[in-house]
Amino acid sequence: MAEGILIENVVKTYGSGDTAVHALRGVDMAVAKGEVVGLIGPSGSGKSTLLKCLGAVIEPTSGKMTIGDQCIYDNGWKVRDLRALRRDLIGFIFQAPYLIPFLDVTDNVALLPMLAGKPNAMARKEAHDLLDALDVGHRAAAMPSQLSGGEQQRVAIARALINRPPVILADEPTAPLDGQRALAVVGLLNDMARQFDTAIIIVTHDEKIIPTFKRLYNIRDGRTVEEIPGAPVPEIAA
Amino acid sequence: MISLAGRDILHGWGKFVLTGVGLGLLIGVTLSMAGVYRGMVDDAQALLDNSRADLWVVQKDTLGPYAEPSSLTGDSERPIQAMRGVAEAVGVTYLTMQIAHGDKDVRVMVVGAEMGEPGLPGQPTHLIAGRHIVRGHYEAVADVKTGFAIGDRVKVRRNFYTIVGQTSRMVSSGGDPMLFLSLKDAQAAQFQKDSDAILRQRARVAASPLLNPPGNPAVALAVNAAQSDNSNVNAVLVTITPNAEPDDVAAAIRRWQRLTVYTRAQMEEILVEKLIANSARQIAMFLVILSIVSAAIVAFIIYTMTIGKIREIAVLKLIGTRDRTISWMILQQALGLGLIGFVVGKIAASLWAPFFPKYVLLLPSDSILGFFAVMLICTLASVLAIQAALKVDPAEAIGG
Ligand SMILES: Nc1ncnc2c1ncn2[C@@H]1O[C@H](COP(=O)(O)OP(=O)(O)OP(=O)(O)O)[C@@H](O)[C@H]1O
Ligand SMILES: [Mg+2]
Repeated sequence: MAEGILIENVVKTYGSGDTAVHALRGVDMAVAKGEVVGLIGPSGSGKSTLLKCLGAVIEPTSGKMTIGDQCIYDNGWKVRDLRALRRDLIGFIFQAPYLIPFLDVTDNVALLPMLAGKPNAMARKEAHDLLDALDVGHRAAAMPSQLSGGEQQRVAIARALINRPPVILADEPTAPLDGQRALAVVGLLNDMARQFDTAIIIVTHDEKIIPTFKRLYNIRDGRTVEEIPGAPVPEIAA
Repeated sequence: MISLAGRDILHGWGKFVLTGVGLGLLIGVTLSMAGVYRGMVDDAQALLDNSRADLWVVQKDTLGPYAEPSSLTGDSERPIQAMRGVAEAVGVTYLTMQIAHGDKDVRVMVVGAEMGEPGLPGQPTHLIAGRHIVRGHYEAVADVKTGFAIGDRVKVRRNFYTIVGQTSRMVSSGGDPMLFLSLKDAQAAQFQKDSDAILRQRARVAASPLLNPPGNPAVALAVNAAQSDNSNVNAVLVTITPNAEPDDVAAAIRRWQRLTVYTRAQMEEILVEKLIANSARQIAMFLVILSIVSAAIVAFIIYTMTIGKIREIAVLKLIGTRDRTISWMILQQALGLGLIGFVVGKIAASLWAPFFPKYVLLLPSDSILGFFAVMLICTLASVLAIQAALKVDPAEAIGG
């Protein structure tokens, strides 16, 4: 199976000395291209920290990370332009949508391709298609402040997908959604993964969607444990 | 491409425009200050233009007649008139004084010019109403800015004068409107002593054995007559014949009449570089301070606007937007603010310029210069905000 994401022995310590927080103590994880895996764990166990490291938002303390066949980190960044790396390789979905308040829904989604020089009309057409697929096409002309929390979240998902990145990192993406919509979003991410060979990690507390994962990682004490598929879902301390 | 700056401005355009208007009023003040200076220079030039002289002959070693007092005997013009290259030479007097008009005082420059063909140097140029002075006494032509109407009677020193004509833009280098009298009347106004002074002076002459030698009363009479002579002038204005060179004629007058002579260029230098030099520096100081204040305000506004968007900027960085794009967004907004400010300032300055007591001249070239200065200031002012934006850590955008 072709590797989409490979994380080897990644350590992240916030601060140093007495106040040091050992958020990750040596995490291993592998996600194949086209695969969606879940990441669960109690609050404060380091889930968001892991996604931020992989997303090149913060720098790990040590370890090795590979996306596709490109090693991006090996006890130090292997890529000079981290922002370009984020733009080209990674789609982010956060718990809060963080849309740009002065752009309408369409342009929030179409922003990256437009900034990259794609003709506006073409970028907006792609944005519309994605928004339709996410069931918010009818709100395409609205401003973010006029949307419900769930609608905003789906717009943020569309924004993460627009560049068809090889990796999507989703940190509790379904938190503001109701059960039906949450399942729909996970279904859509699964479709994305299959269709575009995307490797996707979804951090979640959501009991309803955990059973949909074929593979599931549980993180505790800063280390990951792979759960046996089909086994009863471990209790999550929220 | 998409203009992030434009979209952000459109989103909150009310606030943006109001800020721009506020900045604009400040820019308007700055442009007006420059206009005040240009007005002063223009007043000086108008004064020289309107005298229609090529040369100014003044008391030896003075900067007269505008920048320093100067006095010449009334017959000085005659030998000048006879010199080669001189077309006309006429004596003039200038006296700045307060004149009561209704219940207000008006500050005017009383000009005494020899009567004769209108068009003689020193005479009022084209009238906008009424006629020139034709009688030797008690008639006056006033600039409209005095507020005197045709038919008004105004009191200058001891006598009343009837306004018979009006001019416009005839002002002293200080911007005071002119009041033209016949030379004789103006000389009387400037040099005539009051009765008590004359009596005292005659008593002094009578008491002096030198001036009033016993047995020869004619000496005292002659002394008194000489002392009450009012025929002095402040300057002689000279026009030259078409093919004469001003510098040559000036040199000849200097040499043969032993008087100080200024050409047009030298007179302009005296007025602009000596007479109004201090005011000009005063204004320049104001311009510098206003520019600094404007820059500080733009910097502050742009900085606050940027800090208010720090989260969006972090998200933009997180999803991979280039620093260039973010900097350009902030710079564009600063320039936009400057543009609004400049347009508002230009309009404001034009609207309120006529209400200034002195002439305010808004030169297009000053506006163009002002525009580039505003743009430069806005660019510099955005540096602080851009620095702040570039320092933002994308990790701050996301919680966890
Ligand atoms: N910037 C930081 N500086 C210091 N410590 C931090 C920082 N960010 C996170 N931590 C600590 O690291 C640990 C892991 O945090 P993280 O946000 O990864 O947890 P999480 O698994 O995402 O929790 P939750 O489920 O509540 O979102 C926590 O103890 C947290 O307090
Ligand atoms: Mg978290």
